[in-house]
Amino acid sequence: MTTTIQHVLEAEGITKHFDGVFALDGVDLRIRPGEIHALLGENGAGKSTLIKILTGVYSPDAGSIRVEAQPMAFKGVGAAHKAGVVALYQELSIVPNVSVAENIVLGDELPSRGGLVDWKELRRVARKQLERLNQGHIPVHRMAGRLTPVQQTMVAVARAIAVEAKVLILDEPTAALTDHEIQDLFRVLRSLRAEGVAILYVSHRLEEVFELCDRATIMRNGTVITTTEVADTTIDEVISTMVGRRQDELFPARGVPGPGTAVEVAGLSGRRVKDASFSVRPGEVLGIGGLAGSGRSELLRIIAGAQRSSSGRIVVDGQECSHRTVAAALDRGIALVPEERRSQGVVLSQSIGENIAVGNLKAISKWGLVAGSRIRSLASNSIAELQIKSRGHQQIVGQLSGGNQQKVVLAKYLARNPKVLLLDEPTRGIDVGTKSEIYGLIRRLATQGTAVIVVSSELPELIGLADRIILMHEGRISGEVPAEGADEEQLLTYCYGRAAS
Amino acid sequence: MNTAQKTQAENKAAAPPLPGNVSAPAGKRPYASALGPIKSGGTIIGFALLVAAFGLMRPDVFLTFGNLRNVLEQVAILAIIAAVQTVVMVVGNFDLSVGATASVSGAVVAQLLIAGQGTAVAVAGALVVGALVGAVNGYLTAYLKLSAFVATLATMTSVSGLAFITTDGTTLFGLPQGFMSLGQGRWLGLPIPIFMAAAVALVVWFVLRNTTIGRRWHAVGGNAEVAKLSGVNVNRVRFLAFVVAGVGAALAGVVLTSRLASATATSGDSYMLLAIAAVFLGMTISKEGTANIGGTLIGVGILGVLSNGLNIIGVSTYVQQFLTGIIIIAAVAFSRLGNKGVS
Ligand SMILES: Nc1ncnc2c1ncn2[C@@H]1O[C@H](COP(=O)(O)OP(=O)(O)OP(=O)(O)O)[C@@H](O)[C@H]1O
Ligand SMILES: [Mg+2]
Repeated sequence: MTTTIQHVLEAEGITKHFDGVFALDGVDLRIRPGEIHALLGENGAGKSTLIKILTGVYSPDAGSIRVEAQPMAFKGVGAAHKAGVVALYQELSIVPNVSVAENIVLGDELPSRGGLVDWKELRRVARKQLERLNQGHIPVHRMAGRLTPVQQTMVAVARAIAVEAKVLILDEPTAALTDHEIQDLFRVLRSLRAEGVAILYVSHRLEEVFELCDRATIMRNGTVITTTEVADTTIDEVISTMVGRRQDELFPARGVPGPGTAVEVAGLSGRRVKDASFSVRPGEVLGIGGLAGSGRSELLRIIAGAQRSSSGRIVVDGQECSHRTVAAALDRGIALVPEERRSQGVVLSQSIGENIAVGNLKAISKWGLVAGSRIRSLASNSIAELQIKSRGHQQIVGQLSGGNQQKVVLAKYLARNPKVLLLDEPTRGIDVGTKSEIYGLIRRLATQGTAVIVVSSELPELIGLADRIILMHEGRISGEVPAEGADEEQLLTYCYGRAAS
Repeated sequence: MNTAQKTQAENKAAAPPLPGNVSAPAGKRPYASALGPIKSGGTIIGFALLVAAFGLMRPDVFLTFGNLRNVLEQVAILAIIAAVQTVVMVVGNFDLSVGATASVSGAVVAQLLIAGQGTAVAVAGALVVGALVGAVNGYLTAYLKLSAFVATLATMTSVSGLAFITTDGTTLFGLPQGFMSLGQGRWLGLPIPIFMAAAVALVVWFVLRNTTIGRRWHAVGGNAEVAKLSGVNVNRVRFLAFVVAGVGAALAGVVLTSRLASATATSGDSYMLLAIAAVFLGMTISKEGTANIGGTLIGVGILGVLSNGLNIIGVSTYVQQFLTGIIIIAAVAFSRLGNKGVS
């Protein structure tokens, strides 16, 4: 036999609709062994749906899948695993109440003898996977729910690479990771590629794609526009293919902060936050950077009343606040858009309209009665403003694509017109086109006098969006720089707690 | 074919040299709360206080071997039902039909014995009935995706009806002596139901902890979506939990019939709420707030001691019932309180 298998995975004419609306329409995808293949597209383009079809979570309405030239009709994830197709799904996390080790071999046949779990073997396998990811310090016997969010993501990644796959699919694995873990992950992916594993990689961070991937397939509105060698294209070209038009300037022009102080924080301490002091002027956008676990999110949570402070003051509009609950903080005009949208930000089983309405009941009700028409108009405004790709405000949030769910969370808080808006990773998982819309929106709110504090792991985002940046290291503020003309290297040294030379 | 691209990609990747393990200095016990130890120990301390209080009030009666044996005998059947309810609750569901299943199985075993079947056949028949009820519950919840509340409420109602049909609304008695030794016999001076309850609890503990199905029950209960997308057959795992509950409830019904030397259509009904209460009490001792067999047994112990102790000091059953409710609320509320600071 002289013909070699050129493609390890071939999907042809994949079509899928939900309630009469096409999510995928005749998608073709071919992946070669030993390549890292990027799957790109705007929020709602159909990437996650395609992945779920490739791994048997959904069955397609039409189309065929071949793995090593064998036709496959997957019934469930288990069957896909057997055929060597494994995925790490978007925003899928861990099982909190079982050990790290069990999370890593979950579903994969637990090592067992006669129905009894072989704990020793289980832990050995798990430890090996974590070590591959440079995460050997995570104790494998610990309950996974007690790990930090970053560690939980790494455990989920370890689970995906634990299965000996021919095709490994990763749907936005780096959305919740910081540079350090990302580089560890990339190292493993490259070595898997060298072993001949085919990797399908979804990400909205295009720099990452250009760093890692060999080829890219770009989708728009449920169809494939093109498949290209990454070396033959540019980020700008990819963006305009994705969006269907040319991308304008990503960041809006900076504004002029108003006089006075909107919020002031003095000597604030609490869990993971030590003695933080800073102030924000009305109309100013303050960026907060730092590594995962540096206390950025906790700082926001304390200001927003979601976590207690042990000492320190928060002063809003010249008045000291002693709020201890989120509701009280909201009454003072402080709103926090949380980091973990699925658990903290939206009710997945409710509609877009209902989700946005819950956060704004005062604005849309009179004498305790909620007016349906106001929910509709409020939701429709948000949908238009944030370009939430949906079938209207009645669509259930759980049916939206990951990025569009994030937009619903944003919409809920933006609609309140807060005096102080706290955003924790506002553009995580959001496509470039909408990112620039969100930046514009944040800037517009600032121009109207809102003080904005943005936490982000992406330094370019902080530099482009904020007026001023503070950096945190192990709970303390380790540096402050004006954003205009700031230099990533310099910000990084603050992140690592070293004074700039 | 793509080696050229690889080298190019690798060169780019080498960009910023980052120092070692930086991400998790504070990540050692991120979710520990000050209330943690009290919270997880609160129910146990409460149990100890309860025993101490009754012991102080009536040391002559309460703290005797005979009374301890009484308590154990009284809770044995509840312990069996609560143990299997624990399994269902680990999976994140609950089963309202366990009481009715115990009743119907108790009636079935009695009818089979009266019809002249041997003990082994009669008991097996009752267990099969329990397994069938469990299978129906499992099918409705796992495969037809009905909520556990609706599905098991419905089966509870139907199964209660079946119990009345089986007994014809009467009390069945006149059971053979050999069968009666199951519920009334003694071994090493202790009633046999105590050993059966201990055996069931031990098996459930071991299965939950060390078998593949047990670990899958935990995984599905913790995050069914993750489990499913990792290739766990979530439906089958759920289904099996309900079957176990059905069989366990049937066993309890058999023991109950043997102990009472008779069966009625409602003998086992009251165990359902008590079993769920025991599991809830037990959940408060786990840091994760998950159902666990050790906790369940403590919950069963609390309910048993409470009823025994209140009896001894002469409190009426109505007041007992009232107090039991209050205690459950107190225990669960206290453990929630501890949780609040965490999230
Ligand atoms: N279960 C579902 N029911 C109804 N519609 C759905 C369902 N799942 C996905 N969709 C719709 O299918 C379309 C594609 O969604 P998909 O999740 O595949 O997008 P995506 O490309 O992964 O986007 P993102 O970058 O935001 O993750 C969206 O319009 C979404 O609303
Ligand atoms: Mg997606």
